[in-house]
Amino acid sequence: MYGVFGQTACEGRLWSRSVAAVPRSSAIALRLAAFASVALMFACGPKPSASTPPAATDAPPSSEAAPQTPTTTAAPPVLLRGARVMTAAGVIYERGDVLLRDGKVEAVGAQLQAPQGVAVIDAAGKTITPGIIDTHSHIGVYASPALSAHSDGNEMSAATTPQVRAADGYWPQDPQIDLARAAGVTTMQILPGSANLIGGQSVVVRTTVGARTVDDARFVGAPTGLKMACGENPKRVHGEKGGPMTRMGNMAGFRTAFQKATEYKRKRAAWERKKGEEDAGGPPDRDLGLEALVGVLDGTILVHNHCYRADDMLGMLALADEFGFEIRSFHHAVEAYKIADRLAEAGVSASMWADWWGFKAEAYDSIRANAAIVSSQGARAIIHSDSAQGIQRLNQEAAKAKAAGERAGLPISEDEALRWITANAAWALGIEDVTGTLEAGKMADVVVWSGDPLSVYSHAERVYLGGALVYDRNDPKQQPHTDFLVGQPAQGDLR
Amino acid sequence: MKTLSLLTFALAWLLAPSVSASPLSFDGVPAGTRVAIVGGTVHDGTGKVFENAVVELEGSRIVRVGTGEATAGATVIDAKGKIVTPGLIAASTTLGLVEIGMESSTRDTSGSDDDPIRSAYDASVAVHAQSTLLAVQAIDGVTSAATTPQGGLLSGQVAWIDLLPGHHHDIVAKPRIAVAGGLGQRIAGSRAATLAHLAEVLDDARIYSTTKAAFERRASRDLAAHRLDLEALGPVLGREVPLVLEAHRVSDLLAVIELAKTHKLRVTVTGATQAWQIADELAAAKVPVIVAPTANLPGGFDRIGARMDTASLLHAAGVTVGIAALGEAHNARNVTQQAGIAVAHGLPHEVALTAVTHAVALAYGMDADYGSLAPGKVANVVVWPADPFELSTVPDAVLIRGESIPLRSRQTDLRDRYLRRFEAQ
Repeated sequence: MYGVFGQTACEGRLWSRSVAAVPRSSAIALRLAAFASVALMFACGPKPSASTPPAATDAPPSSEAAPQTPTTTAAPPVLLRGARVMTAAGVIYERGDVLLRDGKVEAVGAQLQAPQGVAVIDAAGKTITPGIIDTHSHIGVYASPALSAHSDGNEMSAATTPQVRAADGYWPQDPQIDLARAAGVTTMQILPGSANLIGGQSVVVRTTVGARTVDDARFVGAPTGLKMACGENPKRVHGEKGGPMTRMGNMAGFRTAFQKATEYKRKRAAWERKKGEEDAGGPPDRDLGLEALVGVLDGTILVHNHCYRADDMLGMLALADEFGFEIRSFHHAVEAYKIADRLAEAGVSASMWADWWGFKAEAYDSIRANAAIVSSQGARAIIHSDSAQGIQRLNQEAAKAKAAGERAGLPISEDEALRWITANAAWALGIEDVTGTLEAGKMADVVVWSGDPLSVYSHAERVYLGGALVYDRNDPKQQPHTDFLVGQPAQGDLR
Repeated sequence: MKTLSLLTFALAWLLAPSVSASPLSFDGVPAGTRVAIVGGTVHDGTGKVFENAVVELEGSRIVRVGTGEATAGATVIDAKGKIVTPGLIAASTTLGLVEIGMESSTRDTSGSDDDPIRSAYDASVAVHAQSTLLAVQAIDGVTSAATTPQGGLLSGQVAWIDLLPGHHHDIVAKPRIAVAGGLGQRIAGSRAATLAHLAEVLDDARIYSTTKAAFERRASRDLAAHRLDLEALGPVLGREVPLVLEAHRVSDLLAVIELAKTHKLRVTVTGATQAWQIADELAAAKVPVIVAPTANLPGGFDRIGARMDTASLLHAAGVTVGIAALGEAHNARNVTQQAGIAVAHGLPHEVALTAVTHAVALAYGMDADYGSLAPGKVANVVVWPADPFELSTVPDAVLIRGESIPLRSRQTDLRDRYLRRFEAQ
């Protein structure tokens, strides 16, 4: 039927998807001070490239392969001059400049000196923000056109499939990538769907132009996420095929999985201790799914937990405590406002829609002030999309959620509302040290808006990805599109 | 006094430009107090703007739109510095037919019948006046809805409702105002099969309407649909009500134009992803088109070329354009955002307002009573503190059939419940 405004996405179409969250402890470990150090950190991790089946090696349990391809291309330096600069780091310059060089934000401030040879772009009347980050997308794995052949987002064949990787389902020619980029999105987490308790591993990608493989788009150094889902979806989808069919079954399924992971970890560790010895024997058989769960226990994989209801979320926090892992973000979190204090206490972020509701029972208690209440209680609020339409207006969705806060007597600053779709999202993805704000040293992921990004009338006019101009609304030559639209009647009209 | 005001009202109503005829469910209710909305900038929904104007309501109708003072004795709503518009209309929505989308026990959008021809399915009898969705939309300025059955080739009959929670007896202002359906491949396994079946059903509906007696005697050949479904198509064939069809691909849109010509129907198209490619033909055929500006994904091979400026392109070609959050019930309220996005992509602001008011009423044949601020129209009026399409704007006052509704919903109640809880901590 119609491509509905909000509900096109995941939740509507296949009923599934979403994500869940988890980790956080690892966050600290994952602070990416620099890509180099990150790569090191992941040395234990990644390995096979997307298409290579993992070999039966002795390698330590690993989660994801480290990307081989740098995402930042060499771009000439540029000084954006005289715009309203919203840093998402607590400062707004009514008239400020942003200097981008070598893929980084080199300086932000009022009346910066233009270094020799740097192109100066007059941005008076415009607003500059960090690139938009979506913690929840299925672009590439649920592509447009939504052909049955393109349904690569949810391996529903078992209740837990931690071994599958969204990266392996990502179609880099999905035209939705272009639409997201043209809306100011520079980074998005691509998640498996939510039909199963553990849907698999996410991949964080950049809206890179001309990517031919997922590795061309991969956010180098971003931790892998693990998608988990509570509530209705797993029990609906698996209720008829062996379970779980109740919330009891859901929780038992999580416990069983993490118990196995705990034992697997112990076995690996025991073998590691003994492996030099004569009677050590061979290593335990590798289990790629359990390795991912061990990554969660070790804090190297971040848990993204699709979870609507307040009691479901608190149940998951208790389970995480029980097994010693952390949840990084609750996704969809329609009832986050009911437990905003607890989320703040636990240091878990909530990824929310501005106003989707009512499509199922666990989405019935939605309120528009959800994000504002979460924010005002000191927890990290995030506005996410879960939709290839919604991702094109995360700025507008944040604006609606901000306005709802104000009507509830909870004033939300512009900076805070912007953080919901930039800095806080970066934190949830474990990349907050390298992107998500306009501060010196951050990646030059930047959007120049035609006006106030919180207005329905504003457009992303220019998008810089790692310092490279990847979209310019006013330049017909800077409207990149993927292969799919080549030779189609509407080529070039995608907007 | 009362008689007089009733007379005035009746007169005003009779004098109003009128297309439709049959009375609405609440007509005949004695007029209530006179209300005057004073001092606002009035956008009447048809493109006219009046500064510092007065809109006066009596009972459930508008009796005056003009300048000067409020009539003595009228209850005054001060709209100085504010914007006054007709209530917004949700086109092609399931409002009133669904509470929780995935819970079939709360969903009356279609029967369990597999037959693609369900034109007799009458949404009006299933509308739930206590649905919590109604207030959620109303407090954001949506005052009426074209409540539409779903599924099949002919889904059923559309009910026009005013979003007045609790009005069990008269929430449906007018039942059976249109027959809704959808074209495309999915309906009957192929486009050719879909169109052939639709043509056959329309032919047989005509035969049925002229040979009912023979049918009852079993003296007619088998007809292509159930008796009640054929019967329900009578008003469509008689051009009393429009046929509202969802269609996206150019070939389907051309088929709608052809169908309207062959069978002499009034048609409205919804969705209309590729309509911009044949905008001139739609304009020439006078087919109103209702679009959702955000629907810009090339989500199927019939939707390649989807774009956010479709509304603007159609308007420029002379098509009557409606805007809706198509397919939505729970968030039909976001029609304001849809309209704003259309404006951001080239549609003139005043035209966008028309697209969510008058044009929708027109597309459903309800413009005699709805969609604009003029004497005789139903008193659905919204007072906005600022631009209705801007994301930070919510109404200051919403009047539905002249009744000022409380700006509360289950959502605001839940919100306040938890705000109080956190305050107490």
